[in-house]
Amino acid sequence: MDMEKSAVGIFIAAFVLFMMGAFATVILPFYDDQMMATSKSAEARAYAAGSAEAMGREIYIREGCNTCHTQVVRPVKADLAMNIGPVSIPGDYQNDKPHLFGSNRTGPDLMWVGARTSAEWNLAHLKNPQEIVPGSTMPKYDYLSDEDLDNLVAYLMSLKPAQ
Amino acid sequence: MFSNAEHSAAKNFWFTAIFWLLISMLAGLVVAIKQMSPDFLGGTSWLTYGRVRPIHTNGVLLAWLSMVNVGCMFYIVPKLLRTKLWSERLGNFTCVLWNVGITAAVITLAAGYSTGVEYAELPLWLDLAVALLAILVAVNVLMTIKNRKEKQLYVSIWYYVGSLVWLPAVYIVGNIPSELVGGAMQANMNWFYGHNVIGLWFTTVGIGTMYYLLPKLTGKPIYSHKLSLIGFWTIGTFYVWNGPHHLVNSPIPLWLMKAGIIPSILLIIPVWTVLANVLGTMKGQWHQVQDNVNLKFLITAMIFYLMACLQGPFQSLMSVSAVIKYTHWVPGHAHMAPFGAFSFIGFIAIYYAVPRISGKEIYSKALMSWHYYLSVAGFLIFAFSMWIAGVMQGFAWMEATPFIETVRMVAPFVAVRAIGGTLMIVAQFFFAWNIYMTMKAGKAFKVDRSEDVSATA
Repeated sequence: MDMEKSAVGIFIAAFVLFMMGAFATVILPFYDDQMMATSKSAEARAYAAGSAEAMGREIYIREGCNTCHTQVVRPVKADLAMNIGPVSIPGDYQNDKPHLFGSNRTGPDLMWVGARTSAEWNLAHLKNPQEIVPGSTMPKYDYLSDEDLDNLVAYLMSLKPAQ
Repeated sequence: MFSNAEHSAAKNFWFTAIFWLLISMLAGLVVAIKQMSPDFLGGTSWLTYGRVRPIHTNGVLLAWLSMVNVGCMFYIVPKLLRTKLWSERLGNFTCVLWNVGITAAVITLAAGYSTGVEYAELPLWLDLAVALLAILVAVNVLMTIKNRKEKQLYVSIWYYVGSLVWLPAVYIVGNIPSELVGGAMQANMNWFYGHNVIGLWFTTVGIGTMYYLLPKLTGKPIYSHKLSLIGFWTIGTFYVWNGPHHLVNSPIPLWLMKAGIIPSILLIIPVWTVLANVLGTMKGQWHQVQDNVNLKFLITAMIFYLMACLQGPFQSLMSVSAVIKYTHWVPGHAHMAPFGAFSFIGFIAIYYAVPRISGKEIYSKALMSWHYYLSVAGFLIFAFSMWIAGVMQGFAWMEATPFIETVRMVAPFVAVRAIGGTLMIVAQFFFAWNIYMTMKAGKAFKVDRSEDVSATA
């Protein structure tokens, strides 16, 4: 077959190459025990439908909190030095649907934020971040209803490692 | 209802793409300003940071760059194969649907209906719409290839065919609903998508287009056909493995990180084949760059492409990632290939093809130059401020500096980034105005000698 005249040949070869990489990096992880395990902390994040935490998580997604906050603690010097809680493992996320890893820390990591802040602090901070943390670049969420704010705070406070 | 005129679909895709370029880059400027003064356009959910940012990313990727790519395929495939596009009507219909889809996407995201998955924020019904659009484009292009008069497939066609295979596959993996796959597994699939949509759609269509434009602009055939094919097969082999390198040091198994890191380093091979081909073709032709803005764009795009693809493997290393991941470095890097490389290729395609479609000379060469210099200067200011800020943040975090201190520390760089971003956007207004005036008041276009040179070596 003269490949330089066969679009079908290119099509099939391109697909086969794609499937090799997709198999290795997308399919194989499904067979990794570490990847599929459920940790105690993940159980604490299995919110009942309609609970304040579940609704708060919806608001976290709706307002795009994950565009500036990660929920990942890595075993690297920076994360250990920042003292943001125990290193997170795949099992911690088993009930995160969708996942909220995030990719940028414009603001601090929130993986275990419930373990280092209080509900009162979070509520006041959401309404006016600059008053609580001068110099903060976080938007004010004073436009949210009291119910939304309470739910969001409930969600944030639930983010803590299992005892 | 829909025009059947030759190249009308390509033209309509490009012109509406320019509109979305302006809108989505303005959204980018809004988030850049919000990082300086959070109260800017504040107080309303519709314009909150977390909703405008996905409008920026989806806008530049799914609207501007993707539509430019489709326009390029609709224009270049018929040219290379000496065969009319299978259906201009279907092409124009796809273009209208695409614009309706993007409008719906912008409203949906502004209203807060996001899946929360980065770069895959659109809800399922819009994902299905995007998939349908991709299929309509693929049918049109592949049918044109099937009916072709020119049997030899020039390397641009290889890249386009590959991209049309990869885009739907990548898109499906990235947009599987969270109810089905969540957690760390979903994060892994998220980055499989986030990475490969750049590498197997924007990059491969962009390089395919570049391989068409370079011989046309210089009047010289591509230096080495064989090298271009090596480039194609190596990118097809190595790129798809790269997703997990976005999760280096993150909660995924170590073997998976390494499966992502090693092919990242091998990616230097396809990048270098492209660069070697460009440099080889340019040999003895460098004087042409001086008075050809399109060639300036092309050479600059290839330099940024090389830089992006040298940064990429470097960033994927565990030790490097440990410093710069999650910092401002990342947006600096992330803008380089989509803006500095492949948007530039899109600009050239439009500047090159519009006179040949409309019979009108580009309205102002001076505006073209302004477009080039402001784009490049704006991007360099943007990128270097982000890179410096990122390294500062990364090391400050290691020293346990209080987080808010690191925010204050990089504030000047965040402000400079907005200045660079403003220049980048002003440049695009010059671009849009120039194309608009070309259609309205451009002088008659005369085909020059370079047209006689066949693209194929």
